[in-house]
Amino acid sequence: MIRKILFYSPLSIIVLLGILFYYSLNSETKSNSPLIGKEIPEFSIERLLNDNDQFTSKDLTSSENINFINVWASWCIPCRAEHNVLELLSKIDNVDLYGINHKDTKKNATNFINTLGNPFREIGFDSDGRTSIEWGVFGVPETFIVHRGKIIYKHIGPIHISELEDTIIPIIKDLN
Amino acid sequence: MSELLSYLGIVSLCVCLLVSLAQIKISYLKSNANYINYFNLSLIQFVSCLLSFLILIYIFITSDFNFSLVYQNSHTEKPMIYKLSGSWGNHEGSLLMWILILTIFNFMFALMSKANIRLTEITVGVQSFLILGFLLFLLFTSNPFSLLSEPPNEGLGLNPILQDPFLAIHPPILYLGYVGFSLIFSLAIAGLLLNHIDKNWASIVKKWTLSAWILLTAGIGLGSYWAYNELGWGGYWFWDPVENASLMPWLAGTALIHCVSILEKRNTLQSWTVLLSILTFALSLIGTFLVRSGILNSVHAFASDPTRGLFILAFLLIVLIASLFIFARKGPFLDKEIKYHLLSRETGILVNNWLFLTILFIVFLGTVYPIFTDIVLNENITVGSKYYIFSITPIIFLFIFAMIITPFLNWSTNNYKILIQKIYKPTLLSVILIFSISLYFDKLSITEISLLILSSILIMANLNSNILFKNNSLYLTSNIGRALTHAGFALLIISIIANASYAKEKITQAKVDDKIIVGNYDFIFSSISQKKEKNYHKIIANFEMQQHSGTLKKLSPEIRFYNNPPTITSETSIARMLFKDIYIVMNVPENQEFINVRIHIKPFMNFIWVSILMMMIGGLFSISYRIKNS
Repeated sequence: MIRKILFYSPLSIIVLLGILFYYSLNSETKSNSPLIGKEIPEFSIERLLNDNDQFTSKDLTSSENINFINVWASWCIPCRAEHNVLELLSKIDNVDLYGINHKDTKKNATNFINTLGNPFREIGFDSDGRTSIEWGVFGVPETFIVHRGKIIYKHIGPIHISELEDTIIPIIKDLN
Repeated sequence: MSELLSYLGIVSLCVCLLVSLAQIKISYLKSNANYINYFNLSLIQFVSCLLSFLILIYIFITSDFNFSLVYQNSHTEKPMIYKLSGSWGNHEGSLLMWILILTIFNFMFALMSKANIRLTEITVGVQSFLILGFLLFLLFTSNPFSLLSEPPNEGLGLNPILQDPFLAIHPPILYLGYVGFSLIFSLAIAGLLLNHIDKNWASIVKKWTLSAWILLTAGIGLGSYWAYNELGWGGYWFWDPVENASLMPWLAGTALIHCVSILEKRNTLQSWTVLLSILTFALSLIGTFLVRSGILNSVHAFASDPTRGLFILAFLLIVLIASLFIFARKGPFLDKEIKYHLLSRETGILVNNWLFLTILFIVFLGTVYPIFTDIVLNENITVGSKYYIFSITPIIFLFIFAMIITPFLNWSTNNYKILIQKIYKPTLLSVILIFSISLYFDKLSITEISLLILSSILIMANLNSNILFKNNSLYLTSNIGRALTHAGFALLIISIIANASYAKEKITQAKVDDKIIVGNYDFIFSSISQKKEKNYHKIIANFEMQQHSGTLKKLSPEIRFYNNPPTITSETSIARMLFKDIYIVMNVPENQEFINVRIHIKPFMNFIWVSILMMMIGGLFSISYRIKNS
């Protein structure tokens, strides 16, 4: 009898796994960075367009809005392509878009913003790329979604308009 | 023309589908001796599928952007080899290739089978059921031949990170391995249904298992080689869930090879062998599901689509629940108990089997448990390589120990005297050798030293007793295949330890004329240049590697800027020497004079690839020996 039950155990394991996989198919949260779900790294860097004080991690934790942190550079061609999408993104309700300017010169970065427009609420000037390393940035552009001080999502590469609609906006709706 | 090709492609898939239905019918009705038999049908199945695959290749080569698949994955400026590999470098194409390989195996089996006719018919029938399932999946969720109403002039290109010759052949080889195990699965189900699991069944299964195992090993090896060359992280194995998905069937399949040997020689362990056959294929299917459904995120993941995931899951569950139900009903009556001594080869292989399954369980848990916590606890956890290394290392000890002694044990009886006679010399030699080496290199820990000693004994004992010198000439014993594979595994362990203990890495910024010192080497950043290629332009950093002020090698890592789609990739530059690789990769350069460089010194990399090759060659020896003797 026990022997017979034993032979049914592989079947029951597969059924349980099947249930698990079924639910995971419908589950939304998917992580692609070890930082997802963690507190944002502490940082304090110069502001690009304003010399007075520093752009710090506190700016991101103090607000209830959904914060987007876009890492960009004037020398990065895909960033140029992404800029229109960022303009759209910054106009969405309850969304604050911040920029981290990555390994750039002040002159080039300011030119970039002056020519293409400024969708950012604040821009940190990360000339040596140190802050980007803390965020686990591998290349530019990359975009993080931060809510209540925690990293919710990381997008690698330029955000395409279809990705804004299919991925980013549903996340914003979820968080609201 | 495009309409015609699209029509032809779909029609030939439908023919394949109908033939598969006929095969399934034959398998439970018994075929007559007329022309509608399993062999002719499997030929039509194969040819119709091949035709549709050739059409797929044709539309990619001619860049026919009437097809939405070509439009999304190709571009006229792409080099020919990547147009070709682009045809299976996407979800739809790779699925069609998967089906083609299923039909190839089915046809080859029908052609070569020496099993009795009912066993062959039912095996072909089960295999056809798998083909049917994947065909429905292809036709209903992922039609590769769908047309666009207004054909664009230019395609969207292929992900440049996938433009690599190794990646062009890695998926087909890996699929050959995965799908090879589908045939073992079909044989197991057929054997169960006919109560025909015996020595004869085992000797049929053994050949096919070995072939699938070699292909899967090659597939995993190529994938690892690609990751090392292309991803620019300097590693060759990342315990990435997708890598694990290919490692799990490999572990189960390797356990199966050993288990089939016991069944073949001693006619016992019937139910366990059948369960392993089902498990190996189940893990291939689960791996496919995890990769394709988008549950796992990684470089391998294709664009995910929930309906696709649901379809694979449903099919996977139908196949596995049905087969495990048959197993639960028939399994308890299969086993023939025999007696064997505790210190016999049976025990040794069984112990190794359990160790294999323990490693499998560890890998499975590490891959699937994060999915579980995500759903049940709503908590994302990341399982890092440390988990795998720390939990698998202790098992490797027992594992190699069992590998050393088992081949020198007799079937069923105890003969420890021969065992001692065979291994005392290699043991003495290895202990002396490794201790003297470890005195010279002071970094090794006790764990590493003991693993090195065990691996070295394994290599020496295997080669010493299977490569013989008699009368001034070289003889290979009939077990040379096994000996090579086992020695290859030991060499792999040695290389992994050496690689992990002596690797050096430096990440820094550099401008032209800077000198970077890593280990005993100086790297001079001599110049930077630009070059335009067919579908990208690149920035090349030129380094001179020097030792004692003499230039040894020139290294030139690149950054490539692709136009379609706009993507930037880093190309590594690797100087391969006998005992170490020097590996340089640079990051996206700035408008400034600095670039970011990462330099790795990776010892024993060549030996990792050689050891994988050795294991495969060992497998080939075993197969050829079987074919000669049958």
